[in-house]
Amino acid sequence: MKRIVTGNEAVAYGALRSGVAVATGYPGTPSTGCLTALLASAPPGRHIEWSTNEKVAFEIASGAAWAGRRALVAMKMSGLNVAYDAVISIAYSGTNGGLVLYVADDPGVSAGMAEQDSRGFALMSDLPILEPDTPESAYQLVQMAFDLSEAVRTPVMLRLTTAVALGSAIVAVEDPTAPRSDPPILEREIARYTKAGSAICRAQHSDLIDRLERAADWIHDRALHRLSLVPEAGGLGVVAVGAACACLGEALAAIGCSPSDISVLRAVATSPFPAAEVRALLDRVGALLVLEELEPHLERGVWIEARRSGFDGPIVGKLDGTLPRTGEYGVAEIVRGLAACGVDRTDGVRIDDRAGPVSEAERHSAPRTITVCAGCPHRGTYMAIEAAIAVAGFAPDEVMVTGDIGCTILGMNPPFDLLWNEVSMGSSISIAQGYVHAGVRTPVIATIGDSTFFHGGLPGVLNAIHRKVPLTVIVMDNGWTSMTGMQVNLGTDEAFQEGGRRIDLAAILPALGADGYVEVDPFDLPGATSAIADCLKAGDVRLVLARRECAIQAARRGEVAGRIRFDPGRCVICRRCLTVTGCPALGLADGAISIDSRQCTGCGLCARVCPTGALRREDVG
Amino acid sequence: MSCDLVIVGVGGQGVLTIAELLMEAALAGGLPASLVPTKGMAQRGGFVKAELRLGAEGIGPRIADGGADLVIAMERSEGLKGVRFARRDGTFLLYDHVWTPLDVMLGRAAYPERAVVETAVHAMGGRCVVLEPGDRPAVGDRRVAANIFVLGAASGIDAVAERIDPDLIEARIGERWRTAQDANLLAFRAGRAAVGVR
Repeated sequence: MKRIVTGNEAVAYGALRSGVAVATGYPGTPSTGCLTALLASAPPGRHIEWSTNEKVAFEIASGAAWAGRRALVAMKMSGLNVAYDAVISIAYSGTNGGLVLYVADDPGVSAGMAEQDSRGFALMSDLPILEPDTPESAYQLVQMAFDLSEAVRTPVMLRLTTAVALGSAIVAVEDPTAPRSDPPILEREIARYTKAGSAICRAQHSDLIDRLERAADWIHDRALHRLSLVPEAGGLGVVAVGAACACLGEALAAIGCSPSDISVLRAVATSPFPAAEVRALLDRVGALLVLEELEPHLERGVWIEARRSGFDGPIVGKLDGTLPRTGEYGVAEIVRGLAACGVDRTDGVRIDDRAGPVSEAERHSAPRTITVCAGCPHRGTYMAIEAAIAVAGFAPDEVMVTGDIGCTILGMNPPFDLLWNEVSMGSSISIAQGYVHAGVRTPVIATIGDSTFFHGGLPGVLNAIHRKVPLTVIVMDNGWTSMTGMQVNLGTDEAFQEGGRRIDLAAILPALGADGYVEVDPFDLPGATSAIADCLKAGDVRLVLARRECAIQAARRGEVAGRIRFDPGRCVICRRCLTVTGCPALGLADGAISIDSRQCTGCGLCARVCPTGALRREDVG
Repeated sequence: MSCDLVIVGVGGQGVLTIAELLMEAALAGGLPASLVPTKGMAQRGGFVKAELRLGAEGIGPRIADGGADLVIAMERSEGLKGVRFARRDGTFLLYDHVWTPLDVMLGRAAYPERAVVETAVHAMGGRCVVLEPGDRPAVGDRRVAANIFVLGAASGIDAVAERIDPDLIEARIGERWRTAQDANLLAFRAGRAAVGVR
């Protein structure tokens, strides 16, 4: 049936069509939609879960695949960094059932984090990596990935980039296939499933290299790389992989160039390198343009192949400085590459590069800083931290507050301007320890969200308690993995766990053995402020659990924290409600404070800072 | 040849809903189409963009600068970020809503006049069509949804009108909002009337 599907959904539906039995992952833009689609649409009989982190997710999928089942694991590029310790080990061991590792890269950085090219991991671990350029090809290639994985007995990576993963198109989707129902494989073979000893590891390395060569043959035999050669020798050739493939036809049309004038290789994989196809292209053309987003991985292979074949024409790409190693490629970049090959623009093109990186028009748009949502409990926690720093007798620029991944990082923005850094999942707590050891004698605070704490925060906090490092760790627990679109995590309320057991931070944190533990309500500003100030003054290892449910989730169930009453007669337009809370439900129009009733959840934080009582919170219901 | 649309606005205005309804109407009409949303990292309140290509097949989903036949701006200031996409002879549909950012409320930053947008669009060689938020009809004491009003207007602009039957969009609206169907259809038709089509 033809449906509108995103690249993420295409991976999910293709995996179901392939008979996937186990699917795991951890949320992260732009990959989140894959597992979300599986959770929403998979028929019974498959195990699908958001796992604690990507390494755990990958290992679960690998165990299922070793037992003979088809398994999918989904993550963003940063998650692959976390999972990679297990990935390379399992690459050496190989697999039985099809094991597909779906990773989404983010060229152009639409969602934050490093602009990394995850193909580098495939090259380092000799894994095949398939790279769709549209949702339709994602649907096809994930099925190919499962077949390839089982044929060669290797894990296979599937890499999408932002525009492919989040973009949607109309795709014909077939019904799911039931997973295998034969008994799982229980095989005890130390030489395959352990790394116990040099002989085993060296044999596995040789096997790994063999598997990649067989993967190259498998892909070549099925003509998955699409090669079209013009009959005349000496013309222009183009090699493209990933999202750049989809833009090539449009770029050629834009400069009035017929596709039949140019030899083109649309590769579906950088690893294994499409050597036979590139060789055939080099034998035909006089100049070559290489199109790939981010790193010149394919291009380096082309240079090696060119040297081997004695090709001496120009190779245009990143290594000659023509194209960037950053950002997405669109029609404009490809046209630039073609121009460097001597294929020039013609009149009437639809390419317009007058705008530049920031157009003149954009310079007139008003800055719109992103802050936490109206009613967000993190607002109360940030306000309490700011107030506690003052109560403890310090200036804001004397107190290091480390930040972490997720909604909590919005504390870096106005009006809070509180967080000093953001590195990786859980790093707030470990980075904070480094500052203490460097000799910082003013208080150091680490802030981290609930899902991030479960994911990567626990090792750091154990280290701080073990090493008696004086700092205050504030776990901001809103009960959901919110930034990525409200996924359930280990700590989400039991009512929404759908069979999972809730792990309660209020039971875990006090049991860790820190010098102090306190739970605070972010909407109780005086109580939270004094509790945090006490921690800052104590000079030892303190844990704070700031707990309130995400306002969006509570509002979806019709729950509100209260109601705000505004008395204009008492308002002196001091603007403290705006400048201290930055709440998007508050406005200032025509010289008067206004409240957007559709956004306000009645959290009462504005009333807490109103000096005249013009804003008051009332209970409801 | 595909018809390319860029829709910009603020998270929470229903920018992506406009794009999804057009995409669904394209599916119903057998027209190939692609859509890429850009949301940034905020749940709401930040810049949002949708790139929609109707009749697109075998091409990438991104729209080049100066390549959009129709740019729809749901908010004046964010609309300036859509100007770069305006095609020389294309249409820029400005729903002239003002969503004042905090920095502007506090007097720390300026907010652009409408003429800034119009001048910028004209400089790109585009035509600017302005919709007034106050022109939306009301149901009871509330005005109808802005995004569906704007969708109605967009459906009457040639680039869309030549490819998508408005009845298909109305059918999608009816399916999506079974209980609020009447108000949304009223909004859609008012938007069409605002650009002079029925």
